[in-house]
Amino acid sequence: MKNEVVLEVKNLKTHFISKKGIAKAVDGIDFVLRRGETLGIVGESGCGKSMTSLSILRLIPSPPGKIVDGEILLNGKDLVKMSNEELRKIRGNQISMIFQEPMTSLNPVIPVGEQIAEALRLHQGLSKRQAWDKSVEMIGLVGIPSPEKRAKQEPFQLSGGMRQRIMIAMALACTPEVLIADEPTTALDVTIQAQILEIMKDLQKKIGMGIIFITHDLGVVAEMCDQVGVMYAGQIVEHQNSATLFRNPLHPYTQGLIGSLPKLYENQEELQIIEGTVPSPYDYPDGCRFAERCPFAQKMCIEKQPELIQYDEDMKVRCWKYTAQWQEESSSREMVTQ
Amino acid sequence: MFLFILKRLAQIVPVILGVTLVVFLIMQMVPGDSAVILAGEGASIETVEELRENLGLNKPLYEQYFSYIANVFQGDFGNSLKNNQPVLDEIMIRLPITMELAFFSILITIVLGLIAGIISAIRPYSLSDIGVMVVALLGISLPSFWLGLLLMYVFSIKLQWLPVAGWDSAAHIILPAITLGAGGAAIVARMTRSSMLEVVGQDYVRTARAKGLKEHVIIYKHALRNALIPVITVVGLQFGSLLGGTVLVESVFAINGIGRMIVDAIRTRDIPMVQGGVLIASLVFVFVNLLVDIMYRVFNKRIDLN
Ligand SMILES: Nc1ncnc2c1ncn2[C@@H]1O[C@H](COP(=O)(O)OP(=O)(O)O)[C@@H](O)[C@H]1O
Ligand SMILES: [Mg+2]
Repeated sequence: MKNEVVLEVKNLKTHFISKKGIAKAVDGIDFVLRRGETLGIVGESGCGKSMTSLSILRLIPSPPGKIVDGEILLNGKDLVKMSNEELRKIRGNQISMIFQEPMTSLNPVIPVGEQIAEALRLHQGLSKRQAWDKSVEMIGLVGIPSPEKRAKQEPFQLSGGMRQRIMIAMALACTPEVLIADEPTTALDVTIQAQILEIMKDLQKKIGMGIIFITHDLGVVAEMCDQVGVMYAGQIVEHQNSATLFRNPLHPYTQGLIGSLPKLYENQEELQIIEGTVPSPYDYPDGCRFAERCPFAQKMCIEKQPELIQYDEDMKVRCWKYTAQWQEESSSREMVTQ
Repeated sequence: MFLFILKRLAQIVPVILGVTLVVFLIMQMVPGDSAVILAGEGASIETVEELRENLGLNKPLYEQYFSYIANVFQGDFGNSLKNNQPVLDEIMIRLPITMELAFFSILITIVLGLIAGIISAIRPYSLSDIGVMVVALLGISLPSFWLGLLLMYVFSIKLQWLPVAGWDSAAHIILPAITLGAGGAAIVARMTRSSMLEVVGQDYVRTARAKGLKEHVIIYKHALRNALIPVITVVGLQFGSLLGGTVLVESVFAINGIGRMIVDAIRTRDIPMVQGGVLIASLVFVFVNLLVDIMYRVFNKRIDLN
């Protein structure tokens, strides 16, 4: 059953349409998620990671947001075309989500046990009693001590780490096929972060769900993910196995990101940072969106946008450097300089 | 919580002192002499002086005030200057009427205000929202005596559906309660709307949606409960202005409640009656505020911690 595709996203475009213009927050994303596998999505803040994940459950604030193109296939069925009622039965049941902000993502006036139990009653048809017992069990499962007591408490009585565990318990209560985790540990301190990641890996082994793990932290990607999509300005610019990505980054942006990691054993004086700024989603350039910051950029990069091409098995990259045209151009350039 | 209630009850004593003092001073400053008014037109100077002596009105002011306070704490509000009956008896007859009016008015304020606010918030900037908010704006700006007369004209005189005035049957309650509750309902509606709109944008509402909950569960269980917290405070404040409003509404609809009693007493300079009425109204106000604070704490357990 592993390796079976659960979720496939094709050419997803989510735009924000307002008086200010059209912000192309997500602008043609493709990926495939398999059962039991973790797909990482990395990129700088503002590149469209959260909007991608919210689009999957159609939770984009609308208006102004709108999915303008693409398909989101869950076991082959397109979520974009589904009625709200059909979609409602999938949310929290087949696809769940954990958000970045544990402090504000739980309802402040409802006991946390009830917040987990309500989904169980709804999707699994459990009785009040059964749902509550299962909820307490889930709270224990995510490693919170004395779960019976905690279940009755309200979020303000819990620490940030505990709240995020509650979110995980809530997301996994109905044993979903897909878990979307949008920077689940960003707001937590490092030791708590490690514990939360451990719990997620553990539960993935038990439940076997596919995870979309969104982060801007490459260290976490290396630890958690099988596949990685690197996002830049609303698009995927590189897609690889995480094992090979760190050894052999293809896209200049990825190379920049990995180069900017502090290396423990190398005698590195300075953090390498990528110069320049991300283009505005209201006004993307015609050419490659990274060209302005790219040390390799040529005339063709500024003129025309590159496609996401298959570089090798399990390796895709959106960069002119890896195309036949680039080879031709560079040989002609060399001839000119000679 | 218990300590909190005790503390708040202790605050009632200074309230009584303050209210009686203010009313006492104001009544002294108002032109007109109760002894003269009481004696009636054409009474001789001797009669007036005798009356003054009997009522203790020629004693120094502070003495009058302290003996009044001492009596109040023993449950004696003095006797009416008009008919020499105990003020407390009159209050006990009229208080239930005013309380009934206030109760139904606040009910209208809450129910109408919440419903209108929720309708508005569910579809912001839609026609239903704009319609509700225009009516609410009217509700806030119309003076209540004007609204009362308007309602009376339409429903009692033209349509003849409801009685014009008085306080004999359930039908008599409807128009005064609407008149008195409308302004508050409008304020509650606006507050509910803005509070709901803020809450609906919160992360935990997105979480509720991501769980696949039905829309009405999201609105009533997850959003409304949080949105109500600031609304409770507004309702409490409304109750205060509502008590003030009973004075007008009871006069417009000829209802023999505390409000009308105070107005009549002011006209005849029946000082003990005015003081008793205002004191009772203040006590009711203080108790209702206490009730509101307790409810606020029950709804919002977080503040009990601090
Ligand atoms: N309500 C909105 N209106 C207009 N643009 C928005 C809105 N919300 C998000 N965006 C756009 O979407 C882009 C991607 O945001 P997001 O997905 O949250 O980034 P991140 O990768 O940090 O999660 C932002 O740069 C912003 O321009
Ligand atoms: Mg984000």
